[in-house]
Amino acid sequence: MLKSLLYKEWIKIRLVVWIALGLSLVALINIFLKVRHDILFVDASNYWYSFLFRGVTYFSILKFLPFIVGLAVAIAQYFPETVNKRIKLTFHLPVSENGVLIWMHSFGAGILLAVFLTVLVLFNAGSAIFFPANIIRASLLTMMPWFLGGMATYFLVALILLEPMWLFRGLYAAVAAGFVTIFYTGASIGAFEPVLAPIAVITLLLSFVVLFTGYRFRKGEM
Amino acid sequence: MIKFSRYILVAIGILVASIVLPSLYWTIFEKVPRSPNLFYSCIKDDFIVVDGSIRKSPAGKEYTSDEYEQALPFMFYRQLMADGTMPDTIKGVKMETPSIARASSFYRYTPKRTDAPVPTLWPMLESQSGKVNLAMPEDYFRIEKRMEFIVAKTNEINEEKSMLFTDALTSEGFVFPANIIAGLPTTRKSVDEGYFITDAAGSLFHVKMVKGEPYVVRIETPEKLDIVYIEAVDLRSREYYCYVFTGNQGIFVVMDEVYDLQRLPVDGFNPSIHTFRLSADLFNKCITILGENWYEAIAVDEMYQVVGTHGEKWEGLYERPEGKMLASLFPFETRMKDENSAYVRFYFKPSPGIRWMIVNLTALIVAVVLIMRRGWPLKSNIPDLLITAVTGIYGLIATQFFPNKFSKVKPPDKK
Repeated sequence: MLKSLLYKEWIKIRLVVWIALGLSLVALINIFLKVRHDILFVDASNYWYSFLFRGVTYFSILKFLPFIVGLAVAIAQYFPETVNKRIKLTFHLPVSENGVLIWMHSFGAGILLAVFLTVLVLFNAGSAIFFPANIIRASLLTMMPWFLGGMATYFLVALILLEPMWLFRGLYAAVAAGFVTIFYTGASIGAFEPVLAPIAVITLLLSFVVLFTGYRFRKGEM
Repeated sequence: MIKFSRYILVAIGILVASIVLPSLYWTIFEKVPRSPNLFYSCIKDDFIVVDGSIRKSPAGKEYTSDEYEQALPFMFYRQLMADGTMPDTIKGVKMETPSIARASSFYRYTPKRTDAPVPTLWPMLESQSGKVNLAMPEDYFRIEKRMEFIVAKTNEINEEKSMLFTDALTSEGFVFPANIIAGLPTTRKSVDEGYFITDAAGSLFHVKMVKGEPYVVRIETPEKLDIVYIEAVDLRSREYYCYVFTGNQGIFVVMDEVYDLQRLPVDGFNPSIHTFRLSADLFNKCITILGENWYEAIAVDEMYQVVGTHGEKWEGLYERPEGKMLASLFPFETRMKDENSAYVRFYFKPSPGIRWMIVNLTALIVAVVLIMRRGWPLKSNIPDLLITAVTGIYGLIATQFFPNKFSKVKPPDKK
């Protein structure tokens, strides 16, 4: 039954996942074609200089990609469940109600993580052609909060969608907006380094919060 | 687990509220902080305080625009020359434009410089190319397990050059990896003096490239220095190479050619919270150390002997009405950025005093009233009440946004 349950989740999000991967690929190709073009025109040493001493990043188009992907996967996965309260059917399966929700949520988060890791691995491979480890490390440090922000967005949007009352949806959305903004605070290259571990832990803890509205949904909070 | 998930949400709510509400408050009530500029006048042999549009002596006498310009002939020499009021000699020294320009410099250090991400790759310029203009090299160096030069075009290491420089560093007793690397990675400077580098053991080195060969000097320090920041400067006077900031041993300059460390007569400077300014002219250097609500100015002559000091203190942030108000409303505030750092962190700032307790108590009463009006038992809401008592408005908002209804709803029987 677990297999069928996960297959149902996959059916809901597969289109979004393929589109997300496709878009990311297009973005990455765009990034590295542009780097190649610019290096031909301004010389590699000048290109490195603008990264190191002027803070010009070559990957800024990736900034809101994780946010959009996280948002899209959460909507694709949880919005259909809220239409006519379909998720109640799932809760009637002979498994624990929390257990079902945890499986659904872990599956979605796992797929999202896989998409993000694919993007990061490809980014790393592409960067290694043009840049030394020092620049790649600084780039990954700069991008890490954006990808963590994508995960946090997924968790929080799931929370908001499963909430049965519109008033509370609005209140959660206000908190979620304030929180996700932290990940996308404008900062210089590598400036997030000291805060990466704490926000990673908070993001991990956020994976639990869907249980809260899941509970409210089940208990028919009105 | 469900209750736990609610507390995570409450915690996030408190975090977000403690960032957003004070930030909103400051957007409305923040006033421009005082940050006076100090200069030392060789005409009056006294300081001049420039505070906004007011220029005055330390004694409080205000200067007109003309008096101000005449008191600082080196800063305004072009204006004074145009007016015909520039003295021919000052203190027996004939006034000539090139020497005035050569001696003038200004430098400013803020704590943000030290607490900031730094580049780990640097260009090593040729310092004696024989050409008038400096040129950027094709490669960048890093100093990790050894000193490596990476050619940008190929993204490959130049082994020969790397070995040459690594050996030169090793023979001077350099302990890898480097800690601080400071230089001026630009061609827009008068000469290239390479880099000032501290090694893993904390020793200070001067490294540059002369005709393709490494030039390495180990700079002897009077005592073991806890160096936290170095800034290379390009002075027209060629007096010194760089400023060296230590944790609590003061500020030094490394004298040009001879590598003597000259300690600046400044005490109690903390590079992680204080700002440092130095303006130099033909006769004096005026050093200003600024804290959040005070400054201390020290004027020295060309031999670094103190010729005058002046200090002032004013109301701190939490003594001013807007700061007091904030400290009464909120028990603490959280910021993602801080004026003393370029890093993003959770900067937790507890409010001084205990006035915020009144608002916290009010929040607690509101929470109790809300719970009683809904007919919930107080007993099962004790954690919420504790949270509200400690975090005040933030806790009240967070616990109401994510309501605790577990006590009210009876768990249905399992089918």
